[in-house]
Amino acid sequence: MRNVQILLRQHVGAPCEPIVKVGDEVKKGTLIATPTGLGANIFSSVYGKVEEIKEDRIIIKPDEVQGDEFVPISEGDHLDMIKEAGVVGMGGAGFPTGVKLSTPIEGGYVLVNAVECEPGLYHNIRQIEEDVERTIKGLKYAMEITKAAKGVFAIKAKNKKAVDVLRAALKDEDDIYIHLLADIYPMGEERAVVRECLGQLLDVDQLPSVANSIVINVETLLRITEAIEERKPCYSKNLTVIGQLNDGNEPHVYMDEPVGKSVADLIEESSGLDEKEPIGEIILGGPFTGKATTVDAPITKTTGGIIATMEFMDLHGAPMGILICACGGDENRMKELVEKYNAKLVSVTMCKQAVVMKSGALKCENPGNCPGQAEKVLKMKKDGAEYIIIGNCSDCSNTVMGSAPKMKLKVLHQTDHVMRTIHHPLYRHLTISKTVDQLPNGK
Amino acid sequence: MSITAETAKEHAKDPAVLCCRREAGQVISASDLEDPAIFDDLVDSGLLNLDGALTIEQVIGAKLTKTTDSLGPLTTENLEGYTAAAEEAPAEAPVEEAPVATEAPAAIAPAAAGVAGGTLKIHIGEGKDINLEIPVGALGAGAATVVPVASETAEATTGEAKASKEEEVVVRTLTRKHFSITEVKRGPETKIEGTTLYIREGIEKECVADQELVVDLKLDIITPEDYHTYSETIMDVQPVATKEGEDELGSGVTRVLDGVVVMVTGTDANGVQIGEFGSSEGYLDENIMWGRPGCPEKGEIFIKTQVTIKEGTNMERPGPLAAHTATDIITQEIREAMKTLEDSLVVDTEEFVQKRRPGKKKIVIVKEIMGQGAMHDNLLLPVEPVGILGGKPNVDLGNVPISVSPLEVLDGCVHALTCIGPASKEMSRHYWREPLVLEALHDEEVDLCGVIFVGSPQINAEKFYVSRRVGMMVEMLDVDGAFVTTEGFGNNHIDFASHHEQIGMRGIPVVGLSFCAVQGALVVGNKYMTSMVDNNKSESGIENEVLGCNTLCHEDGIRALAMLKAEMAGEKSKAAEKKWNPNVKSTNIELISNVTGKKVELVENEQSLPMSEKRKAKYD
Amino acid sequence: MKYGDKIIKMEGVVVEVHDGCVAIDLKGRLGYLKVPMRMLITDYPIKVGQEVAWNMSFVEQLGPEINEKYISNLDTYNKRQKEMREKNANNKEVK
Repeated sequence: MRNVQILLRQHVGAPCEPIVKVGDEVKKGTLIATPTGLGANIFSSVYGKVEEIKEDRIIIKPDEVQGDEFVPISEGDHLDMIKEAGVVGMGGAGFPTGVKLSTPIEGGYVLVNAVECEPGLYHNIRQIEEDVERTIKGLKYAMEITKAAKGVFAIKAKNKKAVDVLRAALKDEDDIYIHLLADIYPMGEERAVVRECLGQLLDVDQLPSVANSIVINVETLLRITEAIEERKPCYSKNLTVIGQLNDGNEPHVYMDEPVGKSVADLIEESSGLDEKEPIGEIILGGPFTGKATTVDAPITKTTGGIIATMEFMDLHGAPMGILICACGGDENRMKELVEKYNAKLVSVTMCKQAVVMKSGALKCENPGNCPGQAEKVLKMKKDGAEYIIIGNCSDCSNTVMGSAPKMKLKVLHQTDHVMRTIHHPLYRHLTISKTVDQLPNGK
Repeated sequence: MSITAETAKEHAKDPAVLCCRREAGQVISASDLEDPAIFDDLVDSGLLNLDGALTIEQVIGAKLTKTTDSLGPLTTENLEGYTAAAEEAPAEAPVEEAPVATEAPAAIAPAAAGVAGGTLKIHIGEGKDINLEIPVGALGAGAATVVPVASETAEATTGEAKASKEEEVVVRTLTRKHFSITEVKRGPETKIEGTTLYIREGIEKECVADQELVVDLKLDIITPEDYHTYSETIMDVQPVATKEGEDELGSGVTRVLDGVVVMVTGTDANGVQIGEFGSSEGYLDENIMWGRPGCPEKGEIFIKTQVTIKEGTNMERPGPLAAHTATDIITQEIREAMKTLEDSLVVDTEEFVQKRRPGKKKIVIVKEIMGQGAMHDNLLLPVEPVGILGGKPNVDLGNVPISVSPLEVLDGCVHALTCIGPASKEMSRHYWREPLVLEALHDEEVDLCGVIFVGSPQINAEKFYVSRRVGMMVEMLDVDGAFVTTEGFGNNHIDFASHHEQIGMRGIPVVGLSFCAVQGALVVGNKYMTSMVDNNKSESGIENEVLGCNTLCHEDGIRALAMLKAEMAGEKSKAAEKKWNPNVKSTNIELISNVTGKKVELVENEQSLPMSEKRKAKYD
Repeated sequence: MKYGDKIIKMEGVVVEVHDGCVAIDLKGRLGYLKVPMRMLITDYPIKVGQEVAWNMSFVEQLGPEINEKYISNLDTYNKRQKEMREKNANNKEVK
């Protein structure tokens, strides 16, 4: 195993401050960095020795032999234990869970995000299939802490096995329901979950608490249960490794991998990068919201996937326009893809619904419901684009397909190279309904 | 892109098209609809077929019965619960006001004018209580009306005029003494005897000798019997006029010969046309739009020079100027002869009075003239009407705005060297009879303060430089409204647009006049270019190579004035249609006639000329 | 026109600059174009060697007929040019 690199900035908030020094022996669960403001504790995920402390990370050389024991957190009330364990939103947002749960939502809803919306990722659904008991326990703790009245699992109807497991587990639970979702992207965006489950569309700057609810990722529930029942600090991560690998393009689903483990190690354990074919890029995260990375990078508490993609098409400098969408890559990511396709950027447009937040991040006013794109497509055409690359959701991609091909624009989607690699249909036309039938009484 | 409820209201009469895929059962609201502003582009790209589409006001609140993809029109096929078309309203709801909608379009304007606020309100009972607000203009069933409810405006302005009867101030006057010429002959000296003009034999040699670049000059006298004569491209048509005594151009007395004009044509020594791009060559009678302000009248005698200039100089700036200068030697000699004429020979006296009308809406006319170089140049303010001596080329003046009085314009302060497309070139004679200046000068409802000439330089940066000066000048004038005119088409439309912006951004209503139609479609635009008068007269909307065909005429001046008055009264012109539609003009003319009670006589176009084979084959 | 909407981007090089017009060689030896100044949109002073671009469609015949009028115009024009050139050649004063 290569050195473990634990990033000091893994969540929302300021970077954490290291509290160990070079040469220190650490165990699994040794607290090694603490937050300076909003944030969460960071623990060592391995037995080993601190080799180097850099500005942004602590590098630990792991011991040859790794035990299962860990340094437990101290007992306390449930919320304190969650805070001490450094639990954060494992779905990608990284918001400290202890902070989220400290706002009571009396009589409200805890919405469980089990949507696993990014195509190619499987670990959330696998967790429900294999570890539903601890997951439901986590939900009950969250409901208890927040004084919520009801819990709802938001899950795509296509995950039949997981839905069946949930139905069986919940049939005698009074206050926990299942809300089924269609298989379109994005249903897992926080405000989309609220809209779908509760029928209330939040403004881009509103939190789910406005709808008297919180949205919590399914894996986060697991970490809550671990913290409260096992006194286990949050230092492990579930994730999916997929792509152009030596053993094909089937997903490798990992549970409880140590945070800080290198991408290289995880790819190696998944049979390694395909040696026969050139690799396009390695994405850390999902196809829509992930970023290109290198094999040296470590995983964090919020890493959901590692995707090795096929080679990019070479467009030989063809003029390309980009349509930026809050649901996909940001402007930098889209420009990076233009470069990787060896195209020439001639037009930059942004979906009308994408709103730039104070943090610089984009949020969609109504995720998954298109506001129309013909004007943007016309603009890119007028700017001289021959190709356009879009990062849109299923619905918007469908709209783009309604006009761009007739204007003789060749449409690429941001996720095309990933979808081709994992043999998933490309995001183009939308052929299914955006709504699905619900279970009787949500059970 | 989806639209807001406000946009939906503005476009209530436009076709309803889904912006995105919507599933069956969806109740249609504004946010499901594509913005009609981009339909034209979409239709052009073959993306959209609006056949059978219901209007936006019809579909709001209706339910989609079939899942329909983006850019799918909403029709009776895929919708239920839509409102019936407004045209059908009377049948369903026999309410007082409703029959207006069924009357013939011709009656619409007066009928609509009586409706307060320009909106016709129809209430449909039927237990559902549907209120329809239909913009009056929309009732014309497609024929766009650029002048919005002009009647009200005009009436209001007239009323105001009567109320505030402030004293008119006479600034200056210009008298034109007309001398009739019925025959032009060659003779031993240049003189006028009775109604016969003699031009000295051999004068051509002096013209050639005077100009280094001129190698030959041929003088032809073209009488009406000779109209069917081949001619090289006509470079200019000029009045023969001179100032009396010490009078300065633009005031005092001007003597002018009736029945005769000077016509400049020419080639270089290799026989290549001067001003290669104006190709009105051919038989004169097939290539001249008689009676246009810049053109000869039928029956006039042409003193036509055919100047040959040094080979290769036809494209250089000195070449065309030399041709004009050489020709002017002849004209100047005629002018000298005119100065000696007895007043007893005057057949007609015309007086132009420049008045200021305090209390009336103050307006200015900005005339953009070509200034890109060579044939794109004009001599401004020569000593004699349309003379050479004393005139300054606007290119040398840096194309900056020059203010002149309306009387200076009418007294020939522009010697037009331009050789742009013949159909849209403003000849020297055009300024002599400039229709917009005349209309504005004589309109008692407005206070015309002056005319600004501004050149159109070649380079964009210079265009914006001169345009900003126009803006400043108009700002200082404190006018209530402005006209911007231009001749020809091409990159001059860039500064034309910029002039609108510079004036419009100062909160001054502005109306533009240009040849646009099909071939001269504006290349740029901005939000101040809302009121536009198209000078086109040609049947197909193109540069038809017929001299003067698409230049500004009285009917254009009348339309522009009506439009500016409406704008100054706070009315807005209707948005233009995407494609050139000649019906817009006829509708407006009709509206104006209805309001003023005077019929606006429309000039004829090339269709009235003997059909030249060339035009027949090429265009119509 | 049947193909008027098939717009093709053309590029060319400025090969002559006159006071009133500019001549352009179409890249790829596809032709030569001489246009008046006002049909050219320029941000900088025009110089020989500058590259320019515009949209065009293919040139289509409007029909098989020959327009005799144009033939006669062309003949007149050519004849006159020839005469004048000959005259120039014989006339030593004009140089």
